[in-house]
Amino acid sequence: MKRLLLGMLLLLGAGHAVAETPLPGTSVYQLDVGLIDQQGHGWPWADRRGQVQIVSMFYTSCSMVCPMIVDTMKLTAQAVHAPGHAPLSLLLVSFDPARDTASVLRDYAQRRHLPSPPWMLARTESPAAARQLAAVLGLQYRQLPDGDFNHSSELILLDAEGRVAARTSVIGRLDPEFVHAIERTLADQ
Amino acid sequence: MSRLLSTIALSAGLLPAMLWAADSQGAALRAPIAAGATPMSPASRDQGPPQGEPIHAVLGIPPNVPPPVHRNHPAKVIVELEVIEKEMPISEGVTYTYWTFGGTVPGSFIRVRQGDTVEFHLKNAPDNKMPHNVDLHGVTGPGGGAASSFTAPGHESQFTFKALNAGLYVYHCATAPVGMHVANGMYGLILIEPPEGLPKVDHEYYVMQGDFYTTGKYREKGHQPFDMDAAIAEHPTYVLFNGREGSLTGDQALTAKVGETVRLFVGNGGPNLVSSFHVIGEIFDKVYYEGGTHAQENVQTTLIPAGGAMMADFRVEVPGTYVLVDHSIFRAFNKGALGMLKVDGPQDKSIYSGKEVDSVYLGDRAGDNLHAVSIAAKANAAGTLSKDDQIKAGQQLFAGTCSVCHQANGEGMAGVFPPLAKSDYLAKMAKEKLISIPLHGLTGAVTVNGQEYNSVMPPMSQLTDDEVANILTYVLNSWGNPGGQVSKEEVGKVRAQPATATDSR
Amino acid sequence: MRAVLLIAGLLAGLSAAAADYAPLPAAVFNSVLPADGKSAPARMAPFAMRVEPVTNDEYLAFVQTHPAWRKGNVPAALADAGYLSHWNSASVLGSHALPEQPVTRVSWFAAQAFCESEQARLPTWYEWEYAAAADSTRTDARADAQWRERVLDWYGRPSSTTLADIGGDANVYGVRDLNGLVWEWVDDFNALLVSADSRDQNGADTTKFCGAGAATLQQKENYATLMRVAMLSALKASDTTRALGFRCVRTL
Repeated sequence: MKRLLLGMLLLLGAGHAVAETPLPGTSVYQLDVGLIDQQGHGWPWADRRGQVQIVSMFYTSCSMVCPMIVDTMKLTAQAVHAPGHAPLSLLLVSFDPARDTASVLRDYAQRRHLPSPPWMLARTESPAAARQLAAVLGLQYRQLPDGDFNHSSELILLDAEGRVAARTSVIGRLDPEFVHAIERTLADQ
Repeated sequence: MSRLLSTIALSAGLLPAMLWAADSQGAALRAPIAAGATPMSPASRDQGPPQGEPIHAVLGIPPNVPPPVHRNHPAKVIVELEVIEKEMPISEGVTYTYWTFGGTVPGSFIRVRQGDTVEFHLKNAPDNKMPHNVDLHGVTGPGGGAASSFTAPGHESQFTFKALNAGLYVYHCATAPVGMHVANGMYGLILIEPPEGLPKVDHEYYVMQGDFYTTGKYREKGHQPFDMDAAIAEHPTYVLFNGREGSLTGDQALTAKVGETVRLFVGNGGPNLVSSFHVIGEIFDKVYYEGGTHAQENVQTTLIPAGGAMMADFRVEVPGTYVLVDHSIFRAFNKGALGMLKVDGPQDKSIYSGKEVDSVYLGDRAGDNLHAVSIAAKANAAGTLSKDDQIKAGQQLFAGTCSVCHQANGEGMAGVFPPLAKSDYLAKMAKEKLISIPLHGLTGAVTVNGQEYNSVMPPMSQLTDDEVANILTYVLNSWGNPGGQVSKEEVGKVRAQPATATDSR
Repeated sequence: MRAVLLIAGLLAGLSAAAADYAPLPAAVFNSVLPADGKSAPARMAPFAMRVEPVTNDEYLAFVQTHPAWRKGNVPAALADAGYLSHWNSASVLGSHALPEQPVTRVSWFAAQAFCESEQARLPTWYEWEYAAAADSTRTDARADAQWRERVLDWYGRPSSTTLADIGGDANVYGVRDLNGLVWEWVDDFNALLVSADSRDQNGADTTKFCGAGAATLQQKENYATLMRVAMLSALKASDTTRALGFRCVRTL
């Protein structure tokens, strides 16, 4: 019985090793945190590995810059000219998991015309996990007494292995260098 | 009527020619501008992309600067500057924790050419405690680079800028609290040469004034921490050139030879004070005031704003010691804002005939390095202070403070200042009375060695207890005086007593 | 067999709880970082704070039971190359890391993991500032210029001198070594939202910092606290430095 178990474990291990090359040390997927998407499905953050994506963080009741972040992501995705490559994924994670539930996120995606794929709206399981995700992405935010947030605004480009390939704080218009970086990263896959 | 018209026409025709003539004279004073462009037009400021291999900038360690650029095209220049927090002496026997660019105050001198693309690397040494950044006044961009160079200890930041404007600019750290970072010595100069370079001179030197705030008094011995309240109230303890009292005196004085031209790049890091910069015995032939493109001529004293700089060119004609001061004069003599330029060479009596100006102007603070003073301070702290130590230290202090009136050999000045040499007045004096003279001063008539003197000796309130003890021990053991020893504790006791009305006896 | 496991688990739990935590009451506190970005004070629920920062010894015990955090095992995304670089090896402290010195050269992720292992978390900036404002007799000593000067003195010395052991004077709550030993991580270090150019006090770029803009710092004569804010704002979560350690708190 023991030998059978051992054998099965070895097989699993070997299969696992064949399926995935080790994750690079600088990959943001090294952080073990869970996300819950707009459909209510939970999965580990590292499941996004394999996709080239633009990531940012936001909250749905934000009226100032967050709509501009979303628009900038749309604009950027449109400007990317990479024929024959896999499409660019776009991920938005909320700072405010308490109020941005799955249905709130779904609503938001509908109102702002964010079809899934390539868009994905998600929240973390807890405010502490949101802090960790922001930390690994290098984003800053603080919650104000009235429930609003102060936060930095950046678009972050992750390559398929989860390394930060580029970042831009240009919001409201295109950043040509960022677009080039996306095209290069897509071509490298 | 027609004659009037023709006169007007003639003058109108002459006018441009006159202006042109005046202008070309002015042009000789100003750094020339690229043909076809005015100083403010982009055509002259942005010279296009860098050419050739990237250059690793050679930085200047104060008071020296890197050599002139000598290049006729814009290039990419890589500047690497490391922030080091370290404890260094600020005055003899006094230490302070400085935060420095490149290990010195002021920080390393950076020299590039207008139009260069500068790739700036700011490193924060791992042993440092504080984060730092840099704001270069020559950068056109947010915060002068401060926003892009915020660096934690053990890390390095990089940003790139194009040097669009020629001039001499201050750079400094801009991390909160900014005043403290600047007050601790985080400033320096960057020279952006105009495309055709600066006129050639024989010597170029780098001087930067700064005000320092310590919780202890001026020259109070030991390690002194930064005094935030004094800094906010703008009451400095020290005002210094190049971060340390005596940094440009004695064997560290600047040097030149008769007939040579000297250029001083002088900055003012502040954080608070404006400088009235003057070189005693010299006139600045040209001052590129505020570090800009135009020069004023024949200037005695020039203002350098806090966070500003200026460049002065002058020719030295006669030998001697020329003293650099902030002409807000108490800063020079009571806070340390004093440096020296020693010029050697043949005399020219037709220009200046008299003796050297040394002993009168220099007052207390510019004698040779007060080495014996710091030995005595150390010995005192270790409890091993000997009479000999005191005499040696007292001799150096006497030369700086007392010899001005009582003369170097204690012979005094007939009818004005009583002698100290073989003085019967001193010989029969009680020790407490003797101590009270430098502490509280002496007024009224005294008879010394058969002569009457009626003068005013002011209290020497800048002297500390151990300095008074050493000076008195030296005087008692010199020039035929009876000998003896005065200790710091004895001085302290007398200081604690109020000055009495009978002091004039 | 099960009984042995249970006892072993209890013992392990006990040694983790062996670190002392002192309670601090709820408070309304005037922070240098106003809660609404303008002037509002911070409101805090009661919490318990670790009396000492985490020591090398305690951190060594942690990495023995949590091998993912051993020196050499941690990926670059979670701790940079300086992680525990002063330790002789992954399991031996060595002469540059004395057991009773506060552990330094640990990243924010590492500090979080340690606090989790003792059923605690990192303090928020407000909790930390509130505890650090107290001296041995007063809950808020910040108005005392001499106290401010003493605290400021530590920042004036470079960290090239040997780190002292824990065990300084306790403040009025019984917490030690908040001032004068090491910088300390807080949970929301990346919420301090001070512009990297610290002179941008007003009129901050509202597209850079959505909302009220970069935080305006109050109490500008409280240099020591301003420097803490500046230091924490300069860090990334994976950074480690020589003078940066941490302690934990528990919500009560």
